[in-house]
Amino acid sequence: MKNCDQFREMYEAYALGALDAAERIALEAHLATGCKDCAKSVKEAHWLVSQLANLAPGAAPSDLLKGRLMKTVHAEAQQAASSKPGIPVWIWAGVAALFLFSVFSARKVEELRNEIRATNQRVATILKQRQQLEAQLEIAKREAMILTDPASVSIALASSDPNTPPLEAKWHSALGMVLTGQKIPAPSGNRVLQLWLIPKAPGGKPIPSLTLRPDAQGKLVLLVRDPPELLAQTKALAITEEPEGGSPQPTTGPRWVGGVS
Amino acid sequence: MFLAALIPTAAHEVSPDAALVHRLLQKDVSAFEQLYDRHSRLVYGLLLRILQQAGTAEEVAQDVFLQLWRNAGQYDESRGPFLPWLLTLARNRALDTLRLKSERQRRREDQTEEMPSVAAIPEFEKELDQKSRAKRVRALLASLNPQQKKAIELAYFEGLTHTEIATALKEPLGTVKSWIRNGLLRLKEELQAVT
Repeated sequence: MKNCDQFREMYEAYALGALDAAERIALEAHLATGCKDCAKSVKEAHWLVSQLANLAPGAAPSDLLKGRLMKTVHAEAQQAASSKPGIPVWIWAGVAALFLFSVFSARKVEELRNEIRATNQRVATILKQRQQLEAQLEIAKREAMILTDPASVSIALASSDPNTPPLEAKWHSALGMVLTGQKIPAPSGNRVLQLWLIPKAPGGKPIPSLTLRPDAQGKLVLLVRDPPELLAQTKALAITEEPEGGSPQPTTGPRWVGGVS
Repeated sequence: MFLAALIPTAAHEVSPDAALVHRLLQKDVSAFEQLYDRHSRLVYGLLLRILQQAGTAEEVAQDVFLQLWRNAGQYDESRGPFLPWLLTLARNRALDTLRLKSERQRRREDQTEEMPSVAAIPEFEKELDQKSRAKRVRALLASLNPQQKKAIELAYFEGLTHTEIATALKEPLGTVKSWIRNGLLRLKEELQAVT
């Protein structure tokens, strides 16, 4: 709410400094509320009061005053000019701090990059291990299904050496074949054992399949997902010893043979 | 007021004083010397009138002009003309000197911060040069009855309040208030009338 009327007669006295304390405080409190009309009037009153300076008789100060002032002013101007081109210490301090911060930041960034790189490598290794485990799990599941499914056909592979344990194959027409054996002697050197499918067709040549080596305990397990011949068209399975990587046709006599019933 | 409107550029031009103050911000010694030459008589005359001692008046004048030199940025051109600002600054300094260590000293300090920045220039003032204005002010005050003139002078040159003036003149407080206000309003009308 504006209540300027009570202050209208105070503007000039306020500018003059003639108001008693209570009135002065009241007007200043009102001005503090942001009353633009009163503020404008007070400003004009200040100007009006400043005109009273003209009542003072004009008088020239001594030349000494101007001399003292100009001497001080010249000295301060020179000081200001000489301090201008120089770069303040605080700017140098700022630059140094910025430089140190940059070095620190760069080092931190490099450390973070290395850490990210190492983490990525660890993640890749774990993913690879996981993929391998999943593959092994899938193989184990498939082997288990083949070995336990009643539809699988058992094939006993007898060795030509009476001292060598036999092998057994389970062949599922849809899931593939699993070849197993225990205490199987390892082939000499880098040679491997190779599985062959002997077709029923007259004059049919042995069809090469996968190669394998028993592990250190002589255990042998081989999953053949997609045998190169159908169960119904296979007469027998045979295993020979071949050079590493296998052969397109047998180069030695069969060490194990088993007929497909 | 209407004369100001007839000269539209006048209100927007930078006054010579304001231009010199701008140069002061760049520590331009020449600008300071020009401002001193333009206003030192008026400032010193005012200080001498208040302080009554040439030596003290020169000391305060030195303080005032050094404050101008060192703190020219305190003057805000958009809030009023330069000379009333400078005169207000000088008057406050002089009254402070007169009343050092008194209760009024604190009140003046408060005003010292505000006064120089709030002297708005009325439209009619823009058309009136300094000499003509000084003549009008002196003529108007001379035309007042002696007690009324004395009341205004006690307030302006000695910094007395209404109550103190009433006591000094042995007049009723209301009469003193009326004298001062009416005198200043007549001064305002007088300055307006010449435009």
